[in-house]
Amino acid sequence: MAKSLVTLEKGTVCSAWNYCGQRLATGSGDGTLAVFDSQDPASSSSFTRTSKSRLHEDGIVKVVWVPSEYGDAVACICTEGNVSLWEEVKEDAQPLQWKLCKSFKSNSAKVLDIQFGISLRSLKMVAAYSDGHVKVYELLDCLELKNWQLQAEFQNVIESVFTFSKALCLSASISWNPQGGESQESSFVLGFNSDTPLLNSSKVWEFDPAHQRWLPVAELALPGDKGDQVYTVAWAPNIGRPYEVIAVATHKGISIWHLGLDPDLDGRLSVEKVALLSSHKGEVWQMEWDMSGMTLATTGSDGVVRLWQSNLNGAWMEKAAFEPTS
Amino acid sequence: MLAFSSASADGASSTGELVPFSSEARATAVFPLHHGLKPPISRLSISWARGNSLRVSFFRKPSGDDSDGDEFGGKVLEVRLSGGDGDMSDAQFRRIAYGSVSPFALLQSRRNSAVSLSKISSPYHVEWWEYVMEYSKDINSLLSDPKSLTSPAIEDPKAVLQKAEEPICLKAAWDVMEIFYADKQSQSWLPERLVDWLAAYNGLLSSTQATIHSQLISFQKELVTLQVIEDSPKYWEVLSAALAVGWLDVVVKMLRLHGSYQLDQIGNRETENGLVEAVAVLISKMPRLRPELQAGTLGECHRAKPDFIKAWEKWRAHITKLDCSAYWVRCDHDQTRKGLRNMLQIMLGNTNSLCTATCHWMELYIAHFLYIRPFTVGLESMYSLARKCMQLKPMTISHRLIQLLLGIIGDNTEVVLAECSRAFGPWMVAHAIELLASGSDQAETLLREEHYNLGGISIEELHRLVYAQVLSSDALTWQIAPIYLTSCIKQGMGLLEILLSKQPVQDVQILLKIAGVYHWKHGRKGSGVFWLQQARDEVRLNRIAQQLFDFVGQSISDESFKQWEGLIELLGSESKTAGGLEFLHKYRDFKKSLKQVNDGKTTDAAQQAVESLISLMKNPSTPQQFWLPILYDSLKLLSCQERPLLNVSETNLLLNKLQELSMAKLRPDFIEADLPPQALGSVRLALATNLGRAIVEE
Repeated sequence: MAKSLVTLEKGTVCSAWNYCGQRLATGSGDGTLAVFDSQDPASSSSFTRTSKSRLHEDGIVKVVWVPSEYGDAVACICTEGNVSLWEEVKEDAQPLQWKLCKSFKSNSAKVLDIQFGISLRSLKMVAAYSDGHVKVYELLDCLELKNWQLQAEFQNVIESVFTFSKALCLSASISWNPQGGESQESSFVLGFNSDTPLLNSSKVWEFDPAHQRWLPVAELALPGDKGDQVYTVAWAPNIGRPYEVIAVATHKGISIWHLGLDPDLDGRLSVEKVALLSSHKGEVWQMEWDMSGMTLATTGSDGVVRLWQSNLNGAWMEKAAFEPTS
Repeated sequence: MLAFSSASADGASSTGELVPFSSEARATAVFPLHHGLKPPISRLSISWARGNSLRVSFFRKPSGDDSDGDEFGGKVLEVRLSGGDGDMSDAQFRRIAYGSVSPFALLQSRRNSAVSLSKISSPYHVEWWEYVMEYSKDINSLLSDPKSLTSPAIEDPKAVLQKAEEPICLKAAWDVMEIFYADKQSQSWLPERLVDWLAAYNGLLSSTQATIHSQLISFQKELVTLQVIEDSPKYWEVLSAALAVGWLDVVVKMLRLHGSYQLDQIGNRETENGLVEAVAVLISKMPRLRPELQAGTLGECHRAKPDFIKAWEKWRAHITKLDCSAYWVRCDHDQTRKGLRNMLQIMLGNTNSLCTATCHWMELYIAHFLYIRPFTVGLESMYSLARKCMQLKPMTISHRLIQLLLGIIGDNTEVVLAECSRAFGPWMVAHAIELLASGSDQAETLLREEHYNLGGISIEELHRLVYAQVLSSDALTWQIAPIYLTSCIKQGMGLLEILLSKQPVQDVQILLKIAGVYHWKHGRKGSGVFWLQQARDEVRLNRIAQQLFDFVGQSISDESFKQWEGLIELLGSESKTAGGLEFLHKYRDFKKSLKQVNDGKTTDAAQQAVESLISLMKNPSTPQQFWLPILYDSLKLLSCQERPLLNVSETNLLLNKLQELSMAKLRPDFIEADLPPQALGSVRLALATNLGRAIVEE
């Protein structure tokens, strides 16, 4: 039932597949980026390592691919909390190699998570920091990954009067609406795992072109749960539903939220919590939606991979669990 | 969204099966994931790959020292989650998937045209059932195993069971659904259809329980070693069993193996043989309530119920008479006497005999139809009879086919859907829904109403989306997915977009083609042509150009003309189509100028039109088949009242063309233009008149 695709080297700590599942980028504790490619696109059964480069001294904790229309590039978050952007380029007579395009250095805070999104034809990168700040960077030239501009900086709070300078965040999770792109503004959802309750709950952020700023249009937490630390969030692809589906994981379990599409007079979107899934023991590490947005795959510290689906009556249930064995 | 099969490491356990979208709560299926790494695993990470494949990355925590040795640092596994019929190989599935596309697409296009043509709410008319039946038969033919064994040239007299093709479970399931939902014509003899069905597929049921089929198989093996067949109790058991389910030809064949037929025996065992033969004859004359029987099978067919009842009663009377005959006393062979009389009891519909003879409730059910209640109609009575048989002869493990049948007889569409999904997979559900929907109005409503919980789509659409996702999981089948997605009105395009966006760049040409065809078929012909040009799809562009030729010589509305014109513009004149599109461009110009003449706008228009005409007719790229239509179009020009518009040489040119045309008509491959019969005459007359006047002018 399960087929082995790639064997990873010692010290590998993270991996990410590109948009079509043909390339795998892995990061190691010693700062090495290794890329594996499929030899046979039709079967994608054999992957071999096509490059291995020691990017820096610092270990890589997360690798994120840049959307394919901007090139073959990855962003790496390292243990010290900086983000660097690397692109695979072919220059002059030299072979294909990974080159540094941009380094986002931050003095005090560490980057906890980054995600790329395409909004109104421009590439944006959202970065969440350990001091509770959120920065949105915009790519200025669509053919060059070097030039980025800081478009906005804010904190994950509904009322902007609150600012927290001494927040200590352990992790953050960002998920863009997969739909966004060419002709419209895209939104993303963001949650924190921090010691400051107001920062934690997942909020949906939308860009307001009139005032040139990002506004929180929804909060995905029930009144009693607003301070709960958020482990991870995932926005489901929408193939034609009249509402959006977003999954939010906290220590209480995984909540499935429905987000309305039409804003009310205040510009807010309606939210409804439709399920609480609580099979995972321990922390939920990652949640991924399948291409139709109907099946959610989750994994966590209990080491089990679970699949969830809703039935005809709208009730969400665990459909399968995969337990790793050696 | 996913249907999981039980193909886990622990083999064919039925506990691992799930029913997506059911309201029942079932325990979660647990599957092992063998990564082969030495623990501890420090982290997992997941990612969806094409369709329904899930990739899981395992990371080992390095121990820091060299105790790991050659251990890997981690592994990435891919799990395929498209379940369904675990018995089928990938190649088999692909063959069925490819083959199902045309029947499916044909039925959809027929429905679309039926809907657009109908002015009443229900688009279905008598023809619709025929279309569904055609669809069902097309799919059914796909499900026959191509590796079927042909019958041996020399028939083995001792071969009780003919070797037939090994059916697959999918075919059995499709068959039973066709019988109940699609085959409207045989509804009146449904019980006999079930007799045939069980005869064909009883072997499949042997996987979960004892069946008459398995009994026969094992007896056939013993047959070679038996000296005196009629002494074997198994012989008589098997005879009764086969008789009970209506396998009359097998029974008669076996009866004729009776020792009393042997030439050296027949002298002593006359009575015995007489009795055996009498039973054999009675069996072969059994009345059956059905229009026809396959060649070689026994029984007498009666279409109409009154005829059948008469024959039935007569037949039963014969059996009773034989049963009461004095000859039994003179039959020396105990087993023969007992065995034959038991068979008579079966034929008389003795419930106990039937119960003993059959192995499971389905066989008893069939026996009821044959010998007790041949005219059972209506699902309700069929269902209550089924329940009765289940009580008399319960099955310990229920085969998935039986579950399906129960759902069908129970008239429970949801159960049928759930069984299809659980036991036969997404392909089955996506394709069988058409059959289910034509079964009854309630079923149709259930399957086509929209559910908020599904995001506003119907169950029918949902299962097509699921199937499309399954198709997307394999590089060899993903191209079929768009065809199913285009029939999903609400969410098909969304999923198609995502599917296309996940294809690697090398497949771009296919994507462009798909985009082109999609736009063309959805009325956006301009976009379609544009995408096909990007894809450099010469084949389709040529085809489109050919379609444009159809317009020549037709009178078309302004709207259509504009569209036609636009397409010609797009296609450009570089297209390497038949004769080049140069002709179409000229024809377009000609038509435009003709229109101006008709509108009476400028006086120049007429002259321009004439020039266009001459240019067209002179041009070698103008296909001959269009000469007359073009000239007929220009009749008004040619018969201009004020003065002749064509000069002598021009008129002569046209006349020559007409002459050429008359010669060409004699050739066998000439294509007659679709014009009124007097067209040629009118044109000739107009030209002649013109010639006359032109000569005068000069």
